Amino acid sequence: MARFFILFVVILVGLFAAELTGPVQRAIVLPWTEGLARLSAGLITPLDSNVAASGKILQSTTNGFAISIEAGCNGIEAAIILIAAMLAFPAPWTYRLVGILAGLAAVQLLNVVRVISLFYIGQWSMQAFEWAHFYVWQALIMLDVLIVWLIWIRKLPRRPSMPDVPAPSMPAGATQATT
Amino acid sequence: MAADAMPLKKFVIHTFLWLPPSFAVWYFSAPYFVAIAGKLARLLVNQFTTDVVSAIEQTGSVLLFVTTIKVHPTPEQTALLLPEVNALLYSYGLALFLALMLAEGARWWKFLLGVLILLLVQSWGIAFDLLAQLGIRMGPEVSAAAGLSGWQLEVIALGYQLGNLIFPSLAPVMLWVAFSRLISGGLSGQRGQNQGEQKMGEHQR
Repeated sequence: MARFFILFVVILVGLFAAELTGPVQRAIVLPWTEGLARLSAGLITPLDSNVAASGKILQSTTNGFAISIEAGCNGIEAAIILIAAMLAFPAPWTYRLVGILAGLAAVQLLNVVRVISLFYIGQWSMQAFEWAHFYVWQALIMLDVLIVWLIWIRKLPRRPSMPDVPAPSMPAGATQATT
Repeated sequence: MAADAMPLKKFVIHTFLWLPPSFAVWYFSAPYFVAIAGKLARLLVNQFTTDVVSAIEQTGSVLLFVTTIKVHPTPEQTALLLPEVNALLYSYGLALFLALMLAEGARWWKFLLGVLILLLVQSWGIAFDLLAQLGIRMGPEVSAAAGLSGWQLEVIALGYQLGNLIFPSLAPVMLWVAFSRLISGGLSGQRGQNQGEQKMGEHQR
């Protein structure tokens, strides 16, 4: 347990510090964020043609409302956390690779839903936008990361050195032993 | 495997069901936690500056830090700098933590310990938000008046990013992973399994 947490924190801080550097921002973060804005606009357009993407900004061409996809909303931090959790957990490298690729897809898919939903929530109510943006979606994305990680752990081959990690038992507390 | 999959599914559903009431508990209890987190944040801020904050005022979940830094809105006017911090930005992890723990039916002391740790996480966020305002966002005049420069600004920038982007949402999940008995059993690996086998052998004897 301690080994997992230490490894996780070391990888997490390393990846996060790397993300903040200028070269990584220019080579990965900014192009990724702009791609996210374009993808969101592309997905919206068949249903609502009054949307345009410019750089990392998604804008309504009817009322001028726009959102700028910034750090924390581009899914990169969530991806870093997921990668760190999968690398820190003892598993075969092929499972890690598949897990990271599938997990990133799941996290980014939900992040696209977040961006699009925020775009429309903001046009409806700024108060609701702030709640959804600052609190609710942040929690949901992290919950998504946790669920992906738990599913991945359950898919790992059972090894003598690493027993299956069962999901939390239900119902609440019924079979819980004192810890 | 199908039977194994059910608890995870149930856990996820229960977590989602607990989220709305957990958000309500978090929101309505936030002013009480903010008052404590603000005081703890001041202690952390004092590690970087020397008594720049002279008082803290609170309106709901917004903290107003009364500083000793003097600014000049116009050449004739002098005012004290009063940066604000929305403490909710750093505490919403409490809602996620409550939902996860309630979904698992965790023991009360784990709730208590988790809430205390999350208070520290919230304090970190508040402190570095204030420090980032004083040291970076308000310009060189204010950062000089606050006595912040060089390596301190680098630490503040990293501390702010961690406190803003990573800790608020990650801390509750890490706490849940640490507190979850079955998860921790799995992460313990061979040792836990061997201990279990040994105990079983002793019982059979």
